[in-house]
Amino acid sequence: MYMNERLVEIFQRSRGGTFMKEAEYDLLLANRTRELVREYAIKFDPQMVCPADDAMADRVFEAGVQLFCDVGVYHLDTQRVIKFSRAEVMEALRQAPSTLYLGEGADQVIARHRSVEDPVPSLNLSGPAGQPCSEDHYLEMLISYAQEPYVDAIESGATLTYNGVDIMAGTLMEVKAVQRDSATAREAVRRVGKPGMHIGDCATGMTAIGKMAASDPINGLRPCDGRLIAQMCELKTNDDQLIRVPHLINYGSHRINLMTPLTGGIGGGPEGVSVVSVAEFLLGVVCYFATYHYLSITHIKWTNNSDPWGLYVLAMTGQAMARNTHLVFTDDPFTVCGPCTDELLYEVAAHSIIGEVCGYHQHGVGSTGGNEVDHHTGLEAGFQGEVARATTRAGITRERANEIALALLPKYKDTFNAPKRGKPFALAYNIKTITPTQEWQDCYRRVKEELSKLGLAFEQGPWD
Amino acid sequence: MSEIPTDLVEKLAAALLAGDKDAAVAATQEALSRGADPLALIQEVVVPTLVEVGRRFENLEIFLPELIAAGEAGTACSAVIEERLIQSGGAMKTEGTIVIGTVKGDIHDIGKNIVATLFKAHGYKVIDLGKDVPAAAFIDAAEANKADVIAASALMSITRAGCREVADLLRERKLRDKYFFIVGGGSLDQDYADEIGADGYSPTASGAVELVKSLMTR
Repeated sequence: MYMNERLVEIFQRSRGGTFMKEAEYDLLLANRTRELVREYAIKFDPQMVCPADDAMADRVFEAGVQLFCDVGVYHLDTQRVIKFSRAEVMEALRQAPSTLYLGEGADQVIARHRSVEDPVPSLNLSGPAGQPCSEDHYLEMLISYAQEPYVDAIESGATLTYNGVDIMAGTLMEVKAVQRDSATAREAVRRVGKPGMHIGDCATGMTAIGKMAASDPINGLRPCDGRLIAQMCELKTNDDQLIRVPHLINYGSHRINLMTPLTGGIGGGPEGVSVVSVAEFLLGVVCYFATYHYLSITHIKWTNNSDPWGLYVLAMTGQAMARNTHLVFTDDPFTVCGPCTDELLYEVAAHSIIGEVCGYHQHGVGSTGGNEVDHHTGLEAGFQGEVARATTRAGITRERANEIALALLPKYKDTFNAPKRGKPFALAYNIKTITPTQEWQDCYRRVKEELSKLGLAFEQGPWD
Repeated sequence: MSEIPTDLVEKLAAALLAGDKDAAVAATQEALSRGADPLALIQEVVVPTLVEVGRRFENLEIFLPELIAAGEAGTACSAVIEERLIQSGGAMKTEGTIVIGTVKGDIHDIGKNIVATLFKAHGYKVIDLGKDVPAAAFIDAAEANKADVIAASALMSITRAGCREVADLLRERKLRDKYFFIVGGGSLDQDYADEIGADGYSPTASGAVELVKSLMTR
């Protein structure tokens, strides 16, 4: 199917597909996922958070394709199910890009499909990852990301107010805030001397109107940048998300398929969520014409993904997609802890190492799991990129990544129920010089030293 | 009034724990036909079993589908029991009535659904308005159902202003003291709840139940 033909087909199926109450669809998805986990013998062992099992990775992929074809995509507005045949899915996969050009000019980076244990290090597409931000020091915060040597792209956060007034989705306030925040991201990359750096999204925009308001080649997001098109948990879309697709296609911009599968949610445990995650990649391929895919696994209770369930879903979904497709995809660490704590960096490291050996490019970081305003800084984002490169440079295998993750987990797992939220940006950085405080730099050096002992091969970092 | 036979208690509890709606309804009907007190069925079997399901979910022993299935089975049992009570001239006893929804502009409702399920498990009557609910709809539903509590949820940062709209409208319509107004969801915290004048905030689903319990005893 050609692009236009598929878009029309999606619309028609969203109006003519099987009508079903949302709760019925959730139950259908939960039950079918459970059956497929059994049928394809997908197993989770807490001592094997990064399995090195090619056959199981392939089974996860097959189960995900089967789930997608069996249950389809739920359209929330029409309460109808949009279904695709296996042949249509495979054709869309073939048409999806394997190489992307992100950003422009001297700051452009090339994102290629990565294989399992790929010898080429990942890119690090970073920023506050949609986390809540105040208007205070917002430009300085974005600069703290853009200036990091191991950050290749930034993404705007989600500010809460415009001139002190609450932003409300779908109103002029959302458009005003998006215009301001995309211009702030543009200013941040300009200030650090990387004017063509890729800007992944303006997360303040939540509705299609908001996202489209960021399209501004002078002051906002350019065709070389991107915008998120989200899925609702699980495998759900609506007109507001689909509206973005033709706009971004015609603007020539990257379309980023945002998936936020819930571990412990409708997909069940980590085995089921791996299968659901594969299906969500396919939704992004078929319905969103995604140029790249952004997996943001979320624990139903702690809103992190640094726990054993999250790490397993990361590992299995990544390997499944890396081995069976040529897609470009990223993942983000969501942590329970925040800046100025060693635990945050250990959480990031465990996630980053596994992501690196399982085919991902890096994304994130979601410090404090999005629970605390302004608790995100450039340091942990740059650190994520450094860890990723040190992993590949050291030739870390999946088996070794598993051992390292198991060694790191005890350093932070007690914080799941007693989070150390750390400090906000303004207290973790000197906001005039935009440099981390001594305390935050000490955490960075301490954790890098520990990771070096575990076999990672770091080069000189910005805060060594 | 007669005691509930042990075998029926076990059968109903097992069906609820398994989230087997048909089996739970059948066990309820059998218990009623054998003379079980409808209110005792609710208070001694349905509520404590669903509270146990909620505990298991909080402790990550079961996942969301199991919680939802048990909640639906419990709702189906309650409907059968309520019908029997009405036929015999009685009325369902609840801990209170709660109107709940995700605010205007926000279409994320998994967290709200979990909270609603736990409220039901603890014996509250829940009027679930769903998602993307305008402020006025919360208040209209509370008035129509003689509610005790209005609970508003917002996941996204730029939808939390919807909670403020509910609070403002309650004050504007001079109904603020008539209802307890509580908020929750990923984009909210205690500071914001205080700022908009909510009666309470909880970061967790089980905390929301405790919050309502403490408010209702005021």
